Amino acid sequence: MMQSTLLRRIAPTLTRRALSSNAAEASSVMTLNFNLPHETIYNGATVSQVIVPGAAGEYGVTADHVPVVAQLKAGVLQIMHESAGEPEKYFVPGGFSITHDNSVTDISCPEAVKVDDIDPAAVSSNFEAARNAYTAAEAGSAAQAEAMVDMEVYRSMGSAVGINLS
Amino acid sequence: MRFFCVAAALATASAFTTSPAAFTTISPSVGERSVNNVFADNSAHRTRKATIVMDGKANAIRDRITSVKNTRKITMAMKLVAAAKVRRAQDAVLATRPFSETLQSVFGGLIERLGGEAAELPLLTQRDVKKVTIVVITGDRGLCGGYNSFMIKKAEKRYNELKAAGVDADMVLIGKKGITYFQRRKFPIRKTFETGQNPDSKQALAISEELLNTFLSGETDAVELLYTKFVSLIASTPSIRTLVPFSASEISQKGDEVFQLTSGNGDFEVERKELDVAEPQEFPNDMIFEQDPLQIVNSILPLYLNGQILRTLQESVASELAARMQSMQSASDNAGSLAKDLSMQYNRARQAAVTQEILEIVSGAQALE
Repeated sequence: MMQSTLLRRIAPTLTRRALSSNAAEASSVMTLNFNLPHETIYNGATVSQVIVPGAAGEYGVTADHVPVVAQLKAGVLQIMHESAGEPEKYFVPGGFSITHDNSVTDISCPEAVKVDDIDPAAVSSNFEAARNAYTAAEAGSAAQAEAMVDMEVYRSMGSAVGINLS
Repeated sequence: MRFFCVAAALATASAFTTSPAAFTTISPSVGERSVNNVFADNSAHRTRKATIVMDGKANAIRDRITSVKNTRKITMAMKLVAAAKVRRAQDAVLATRPFSETLQSVFGGLIERLGGEAAELPLLTQRDVKKVTIVVITGDRGLCGGYNSFMIKKAEKRYNELKAAGVDADMVLIGKKGITYFQRRKFPIRKTFETGQNPDSKQALAISEELLNTFLSGETDAVELLYTKFVSLIASTPSIRTLVPFSASEISQKGDEVFQLTSGNGDFEVERKELDVAEPQEFPNDMIFEQDPLQIVNSILPLYLNGQILRTLQESVASELAARMQSMQSASDNAGSLAKDLSMQYNRARQAAVTQEILEIVSGAQALE
């Protein structure tokens, strides 16, 4: 399973055709439903590709992709629209994504924010605060675990906006 | 003489400082008292300035009528503002539908696949209940009729029931009214939040985080949520549900309900609609699970809790707004009828004064003959 996943990432075209159960129609666009609890960002939008930050690794979804269901980790969700250009980037803290066998992908996240709207200064200062909380907390306590999670999220937010935090 | 006039004026002044509750009682007429005083003493001729209606100066009853009419305008405006906000709340509820539907369908599909395995997840297992956390949703502001007091009464009753059954209970309070009530009476409060007029995902996340931490750390064995279900403009029912631990069958089989504010018979009405359950997701045979299905179910449950809390917050806010609409409508009606009564008094007093003057003139003319 892991090997086929790797293979799929390296040689998407070949394995995709072989594994796809619906090899009949080859449409070049996929349908995206991107939902948050309080609003729907995309409903039935046709896009050319979506790069999803899965918990086991980032993966790309295009038309006729094999059905996949995956948990997401904190990271950047990139949406490539049909009209080629810069991909639209959203930072999501988690959620899950399910790709059906008819090229429809449902992505559900508790929150999503456009990467353009993220303030790098705020990210750095919050990361510092989380790191201080981490060192100040006693080892193995819930506070330390929370601070560790905070640091992870801010680190990936930082890499999304282009600053290197460690 | 002076004394009676002053007393009448004082009584008028105190009647001016009214609160909405005062509109439900017609205060024993100040105007009548002044008029009676003028007549009873038979000294109307001497104290011409006590003619309460004929002079062009400031007049007690007239001022009161103006103030009551202005108050009526304000209460009517508050009712319409509340109605507009209900529309907004209803749109917010509809906006949460796609997320909850996807969640429900994927969850249903995964549970079917997993069968009994899923029952071992901590969030799905019923524990021995020794401690319960009650989450109470009230409003931040007043002027909404019985909304807050019904909810507070129900919460107190539930708390006492649990205590009587030997179960330890504490509270998570959402909304200033509940917070002030229970804090003053020194109930055990775990955490407090404010409701706000427009519940959003961030608030729901903070609340669900707190509840999950409490449940998973073992500090509580069950979480019950008390919120006001929005049934119609007149009826709102305080309801209780057990939030955590979840029941797998309830998540995948319970249909949703949405409300809609419409107009019927020239006034506002609420329609409640039951929506169908989302079909459990059929997973094709070549579906790749990036993580173990059990792990995915485990990650869906907090999202489900978040969605549920957001929904109940929205529903409670809608109930509060409906209650405010109703109470402002009653206040306006009362103000209207009070203005009418005062107008009648004013006119009667005016006519009586005119009659009095005529009588004096006629008797004076007769005396001269």
